[in-house]
Amino acid sequence: MLRSTLSKVLNGSKLSPNLVCVTFRASSDVAKKPEKIEVFIDDQPVLVDPGTTVLQAAAQVGVEIPRFCYHERLAVAGNCRMCLVEVEKSPKPVAACAMPVMKGWRIKTNSDMTKKAREGVMEFLLVNHPLDCPICDQGGECDLQDQSMAFGSDRSRFTDIQFSGKRAVEDKDLGPLIKTVMTRCIHCTRCIRFASEVAGIDDLGTTGRGSDMQIGTYVEKFFMSELSGNVIDLCPVGALTSKPYSFTARPWEIRKIDSIDVFDAVGSNIVVSTRTNEVLRILPRTNEEINEEWLADKSRFAYDGLKRQRLITPMLRDNKNQLTPVDWEAALLTVGKVLQQAGPNVAAIAGGMADAETLVAVKDLLNRLGSELTCTEHVFPMDGSGTDLRSSYLLNNKISGVEEADAVLLIGTNPRFEAPLLNSRLRKTYLHNEAEIAVIGPKVDLTYDYHHLGTSAKAINDVANGSSPFSKVLKNAKKPLVIIGADLLKRSDGAAILSAAQSLAAQATNKPEGWKVLNVLHKVASQVAALDIGYTPGVDKIREAKPKVLFLIGADEGAINKEDLPSDCFIIYQGHHGDQGACIADAILPGAAYTEKQATYVNTEGRAQQTLVAVSPPGQAKEDWKIVRAVSEIIGMKLPYDDINEIRSRLNEVAPHLIRYGDVEGANYFKQASQLLQEKKSVDDSPIDVKIKDLQDYFMTDAISRASPTMAKCVQAVLKQKESKY
Amino acid sequence: MSNCIKLYSLTNRGSLLARLTSIQAVKPRYASTTKDGYIYVNKEEPSMNLGDVTDRAAQTIFMTEMFRGFAVTLAHVFKEPATINYPFEKGPLSPRFRGEHALRRYPSGEERCIACKLCEAICPAQAITIEAEERADGSRRTTRYDIDMTKCIYCGFCQEACPVDAIVEGPNFEYSTESHEELLYNKEKLLDNGDKWESEIAANIYADHLYR
Amino acid sequence: MDELKIGTLKGIDKYGNKYYENNRFFYGRNRWIEYAPKYGTDYDASQVPAEWYGWLHYKTDLTPDKDPARPKYKWMVDHTENLSGFSGAYIPYSTTRPKIEAWVPPKSS
Repeated sequence: MLRSTLSKVLNGSKLSPNLVCVTFRASSDVAKKPEKIEVFIDDQPVLVDPGTTVLQAAAQVGVEIPRFCYHERLAVAGNCRMCLVEVEKSPKPVAACAMPVMKGWRIKTNSDMTKKAREGVMEFLLVNHPLDCPICDQGGECDLQDQSMAFGSDRSRFTDIQFSGKRAVEDKDLGPLIKTVMTRCIHCTRCIRFASEVAGIDDLGTTGRGSDMQIGTYVEKFFMSELSGNVIDLCPVGALTSKPYSFTARPWEIRKIDSIDVFDAVGSNIVVSTRTNEVLRILPRTNEEINEEWLADKSRFAYDGLKRQRLITPMLRDNKNQLTPVDWEAALLTVGKVLQQAGPNVAAIAGGMADAETLVAVKDLLNRLGSELTCTEHVFPMDGSGTDLRSSYLLNNKISGVEEADAVLLIGTNPRFEAPLLNSRLRKTYLHNEAEIAVIGPKVDLTYDYHHLGTSAKAINDVANGSSPFSKVLKNAKKPLVIIGADLLKRSDGAAILSAAQSLAAQATNKPEGWKVLNVLHKVASQVAALDIGYTPGVDKIREAKPKVLFLIGADEGAINKEDLPSDCFIIYQGHHGDQGACIADAILPGAAYTEKQATYVNTEGRAQQTLVAVSPPGQAKEDWKIVRAVSEIIGMKLPYDDINEIRSRLNEVAPHLIRYGDVEGANYFKQASQLLQEKKSVDDSPIDVKIKDLQDYFMTDAISRASPTMAKCVQAVLKQKESKY
Repeated sequence: MSNCIKLYSLTNRGSLLARLTSIQAVKPRYASTTKDGYIYVNKEEPSMNLGDVTDRAAQTIFMTEMFRGFAVTLAHVFKEPATINYPFEKGPLSPRFRGEHALRRYPSGEERCIACKLCEAICPAQAITIEAEERADGSRRTTRYDIDMTKCIYCGFCQEACPVDAIVEGPNFEYSTESHEELLYNKEKLLDNGDKWESEIAANIYADHLYR
Repeated sequence: MDELKIGTLKGIDKYGNKYYENNRFFYGRNRWIEYAPKYGTDYDASQVPAEWYGWLHYKTDLTPDKDPARPKYKWMVDHTENLSGFSGAYIPYSTTRPKIEAWVPPKSS
């Protein structure tokens, strides 16, 4: 819907294309670069592209014009009128956010007329805004507060203190994540525009006019989306606030620590807000390469899982077969004794949230014991080059590269829930790049239209040999992308599927230099780092080897059961949550969650990033690699690193890109990888399935989110929504 | 004395210059102007006339100063004592006196505090610690309201910052304790103080209501 | 009362303390309290209840029964003296629940 209207606008008016392009995409590749025009902001000359708005031109010379409704990543609405500025020779002030500059304009952002206009707008906004700042969660970080201090009048003309007519609006129930106080709403419509443009659900809208205008969902309905939490950040006032965070803290008493999200493989940049050693909320941190300024709901709200079901003390299974708390000394001595007895019959499984430091420490320890059995829970085909060539397991073209694609084939993945922020990029290309998107796999709602090429894996071959209608699109595309879900490759014919996809990718010939067609989308944060370090994907080898001691590093997905192991196998669980892994363990070593340690994670692009310590680990829990280091000392095979710098230099020895934080270490050798993987077996006909098809499956996928009460409420809300007639 | 009068008349004119010149022109008591214009401000040496020296010697010998002192003491025996008999009699206090803290309630019995944390923010000694969450009925309330009374400097900023008159510094100052920990007040203790002292707190606020 | 003073009885509070005034004494001594006999020699300054506190401290000349600024709500509680050092003394405790909930291993058969 949005796409058609947009293209109409694009084709219809002469003015709009530039405007729309500029507002949506900074790097627009408009066919010809027109000449720059000169305007004057407060008498400072500035050269801008034609179609630049007054507000953007002012931003170029560092003049910030106040605004409520305007947002860089959303369409221009122009309805708050806060950005009014005076333009010389114009009889009325103009709305800076929506007005493109003309040659030679002299814009005055600080003149008397501008000031008066702002004061007037501010007065109108405040007439109907309640004075409940002391109980408002936005208080202290509220745009309306700040701007009324900076630009508002210093005295009030409001005399109606007998409460005869201040506007009041009924609150809406938008679900368990977003709390609404609609009386505070100033009708900037940012939330509506976000929902329809970025999140892709047209649930929010306005009803009524003038002072009867209301933001709402038209019918009684939750606003449930995997990106819904972002409207809280967008709301300039306290109309939409976070329900789990409600009333808990003030922005001035919070400590903010930059960190990395580990709930999916995207590696979104986050800011962890803490106070008194408690994680209070998680906000996105702007990173244009990864998450722009959005954050998925699980990453944003699952933090309360960090306070439940925690392992806070070491435990050992006593002679009544019951796990009982012990002190570190007893636990480490027992584990050390067991490891010494087992010798090389040791195996390790890394879970989805293990960090690179721990992974390398465990691998070093096991290698010293004489074992090579270090595996990850999540599978990847080992045929051909296996995981030796990074190009076969990375999202090679980068997340931001998705925006430029003009044809995308998604195989066996549901990016909407496996990587919501990648999906928002896909939606962006769909909207603004006219990209054709096709899906092989189950039919799911991806918030944009796509060609469904079938559920069978055979459809990949169809595309490759030209019998599918989409193969032409893909072949002619300038910037095609093939994105494979990592989950798909754990099938028995996973190698064949990968091989087919590689040959499909090789067909794209008229792509620009450096454009990488084949992309693998992982689901968990640890996988790429584990494969980089040299872990074996999949636990089949462990089933065969029948180890005496099994070391679980936060492995909670139930990849291996007690039945798969010999009865005398001693299971050590090291992690932060009591979940499936801890239940089957004989010894538990409490570790730190991602907010509690300085640790390295590599996202699905191959970008190494590090988390920082926001709070200290609870109880007796310790940082994970230090536990492994302590175990190694007890069994007399001391690992040669004592602090974070030394283990990082060890990481540097294994794979130097692991400590080049923020950079993507690109992968090449696509040709070699596909040559090595000349799979004889053909893909079988069984239908492709994805694990997370619907919103209710999205919220609880790992040990932390399974422990989170908020996420449980979300699942309930989605199920309730399903039952309602809307 | 004539010097003093001259000084007054000069200063009353208000001119700085006049005042400066007056210092030079006027010779204060115990001050003498030397030739080069400096003023000698120390006590002057006692005079060494034979009569004066004899006088001083006689006063020392007969201990006149001692007897004058005893006379003052004796006089006070017959005067009414100036001390008050605490704890039966108590000294005057202002309605603005800032004593022991209390959390107040609305007449309905609902606690006033809305956990806006302004008192915590303004507290210069950082004596206040607040934690808050949504109560079951959806209202904003504190779960923790601790004041470390040993950190508090009784500046009264908290009651000035409070938008709902919840935290007040009450009139009570007789809450000394035998241990440090008894002065680490929590929310229950503060609310209990409020319930105990409301009569006096309300009277104080009423007494002051014209001035704020 | 450890001295002999004559004054008019202005009132008795509910705890039995008697309040006297005699303006022939100077300001500061003209109002006094006679602690209730039940206290014996264990009288203490903190036994003055809030209602009479203002009168005794010369903030007001109105005794509590005549003072309109003194509300009476049903949630107001009885006065207690400063109990530091006695069994009823206040001991601080946390009013919040613990921040971290530990995992309790399931009972195995």
